[in-house]
Amino acid sequence: MSENPGYSAGEYGLMALRVGSIVAVLGAWQITAMAHVFSDFLLPPLSTVVMRLLHDLGPSSMTQLMEDLKSGNLLGLLGDIFSGELPRGIGLTLVRTFIGFVMAAAGGVAIGVAIARVPLARWFFDPLVSVGLPMPKVAFLPIFMLWFGVFDVSKVLMIAFSAVFPVIVEAWAGTQNIDKYMSWSALSLGVGPRRFLWEIALPAALPQVFTGLQVALPISLIVAIICEMQMGGQGLGGSIMTDMRFADSPGVFSGIVAIALVGMVLVKAMELVRRRLLIWHQETQAE
Amino acid sequence: MATGIQFNAVHHTYRPPRGKPVLALDGVSLEVKDREFMALLGPSGCGKSTLLYLLGGFLPVESGEISVDGKKVQGPGTDRGIVFQHFALFPWKTVRQNVLYGLEKQHVARPERARRAQAMIELVHLNGFEDSYPSQLSGGMKQRVAIARTLAVEPEILLMDEPFGALDAQTRALMHEELLAIMRRSPKTVVFVTHDVREAVYLADRVAVMSARPGRIKEIVDTRLPGGTNPEVQQSPEFAQKVEHLWQLVRDEAIKAQAQAGHG
Amino acid sequence: MIFRFLIRIFPLVLLAGLWEIAPRIGWINPEVLPPASAVASAWYGLLMSGDLVTNGVSSLINVSAGLALGIVVGMAAGVLMAWYPVVDALVSPLMKSLYPMPKSALIPVMILWFGLGAGSKIASIFMGCLLPVVLSSYNGARGVEQTLIWSALGLGASRRRVLWEVVVPGALPEIMAGIRNALAISFILLVSSEFLVGQRGLGYLISFLGDGGVYDAMFAAVLTVAAIGFFADRVYLFFMQRTLQWRE
Repeated sequence: MSENPGYSAGEYGLMALRVGSIVAVLGAWQITAMAHVFSDFLLPPLSTVVMRLLHDLGPSSMTQLMEDLKSGNLLGLLGDIFSGELPRGIGLTLVRTFIGFVMAAAGGVAIGVAIARVPLARWFFDPLVSVGLPMPKVAFLPIFMLWFGVFDVSKVLMIAFSAVFPVIVEAWAGTQNIDKYMSWSALSLGVGPRRFLWEIALPAALPQVFTGLQVALPISLIVAIICEMQMGGQGLGGSIMTDMRFADSPGVFSGIVAIALVGMVLVKAMELVRRRLLIWHQETQAE
Repeated sequence: MATGIQFNAVHHTYRPPRGKPVLALDGVSLEVKDREFMALLGPSGCGKSTLLYLLGGFLPVESGEISVDGKKVQGPGTDRGIVFQHFALFPWKTVRQNVLYGLEKQHVARPERARRAQAMIELVHLNGFEDSYPSQLSGGMKQRVAIARTLAVEPEILLMDEPFGALDAQTRALMHEELLAIMRRSPKTVVFVTHDVREAVYLADRVAVMSARPGRIKEIVDTRLPGGTNPEVQQSPEFAQKVEHLWQLVRDEAIKAQAQAGHG
Repeated sequence: MIFRFLIRIFPLVLLAGLWEIAPRIGWINPEVLPPASAVASAWYGLLMSGDLVTNGVSSLINVSAGLALGIVVGMAAGVLMAWYPVVDALVSPLMKSLYPMPKSALIPVMILWFGLGAGSKIASIFMGCLLPVVLSSYNGARGVEQTLIWSALGLGASRRRVLWEVVVPGALPEIMAGIRNALAISFILLVSSEFLVGQRGLGYLISFLGDGGVYDAMFAAVLTVAAIGFFADRVYLFFMQRTLQWRE
């Protein structure tokens, strides 16, 4: 039998307001558009945008799909299902984002831990990180384009370059600020210096390192999109710019919705991974 | 194996990264006999914890000598187990994994170490919590895990740095009983840092009173009582006398320490 | 003190030295990485010709406008959301859903709405700065200890006064940290939007020089932007620490 009191009327009211506000905004969008308060160009109706989204999600050729279905060509079928413009764009953007992110993660953790534990590494990297962190790294995009071309290599490197800084900072802080007494306990229990890094320092630093990764992933996505907008090469950023140049405003809006959804999924995914990985951490417990 | 501890004219200077060096310990000489429960009592900042860390081998001995059983202290070791005020448990390990850690480092065989870990967990009355994480435990329980973890490697000397300072008064009283029970079962040499006079008198055989910074040994008082270590002994007049005696010794130092804290 | 500073920046000095020597002796193609001295003189040229100043001023105006708007609206929204549950219920679902979206994706919409000029840039910067400031204002305001608020109420302050005199100052550390974040984001959006559209601004200057193959000047312009971003952060940090001196 529950001993918790139920929600009060006021609390129900607030919950209703929360749900209501999103519905209201969407509703206002649709109504404003239909009333032609702004031109269809400036504000295409929600319905048009949704239709466009669904269209772009679907396979680019239904006939091809039906053929492969009939002939039992499973591989072809798989390709057809994801042949739509939106799945392809999402795929491209995500691949670039992830490759850049993984590079930033691996490099950042290695450098950050090194800075915390090796004085020479600290001497060398400290000024670089201090100077690099607040700089708008995207300003270097034209230089990357000059050095690495206008295709995926420069995009991925730019993503890695932008995302690595927060990872370094957090990995450094996490490794540096391990509880002194916990380290001493480990020493008095007989751990040797080599095993100490892997058995004590890294697990202890993990929460903060993961926070750095949680900051780095959205940065990776943002920079991926900026690179695509600037350099083309399809992907979500590229398609949005193309649509804009063709004054295809439903295309632009549906692109934004797609990007927003991708961003949301990535952030949520990181949160779930964190909850699983850091199940022992007191913040997780406090939930 | 007889394990006496000798502190010989130990000096220690604290060097903060920014600011002037401060003399923390000024020529401390002390002897702790084998199987003795010695309390280090003094006001905040007197260096009692520093003395403990030097004995534990966590800080280098720059001036003077500390030897255990005739051998100079060279660094941390499993012969001197330590329990800290804020538990210092490994948060990513369960209770069992924490207790097992020292046993793994000693390359004890798997079935044997499982047995010893379980025995320790039962000793501190934490059966049923073997698979819990520290973040799920109360303060008293965490401290018991810390004690179990340290005792699992069977150190000859037990160092305790205000171990019950972070606990509320009731839990602290219960922990006193548990600690004394454990010591009765397997006596060890204990060096126990505290600023609580009653705790020192109750638990310890002898109490070394330290002066305010820079720390020196002011006086050593014998605190063994006719009632032994029963809780009732805390109501006896002899107990009150000892407490009063020690408090008089500590009081002036405490006032000095308060003034020091203001100027940092 | 000076000595310590020199040791600290010495790796940068080494890298600068490498930058000068490597292209000159052919380790690196000097077309792809002009030597430091060439870039320095190109920078001087840009300064003298007025290009740097004109575009620099344009950029600074845009970023300041976007940032200022973002701070004012953001702080107001965040604090009000924290103080009035109704505002919170209405606005926070929107905030939470917009949070993970890369604001750079909004640049094309801003261009559609505000055209190819300063308006779209300022709007993009505003949108990017808004959320970090809202979030930190919200968290900061909510984080003010209940005991402080109750003490003030107990001493006779009205709810509105408590908001101004206790909550906002109490939230200030976190708000200022959020603004620092917003500052960094504002520069990113400034540069990205100037790359994409417009005829003015440092981002535009960089693209222009890059398209024209004038790489030493391009490098100079890039480093100017990077330096401005860096110094803006440093200056803000100094200002922030002065303002928050009361913090332990």
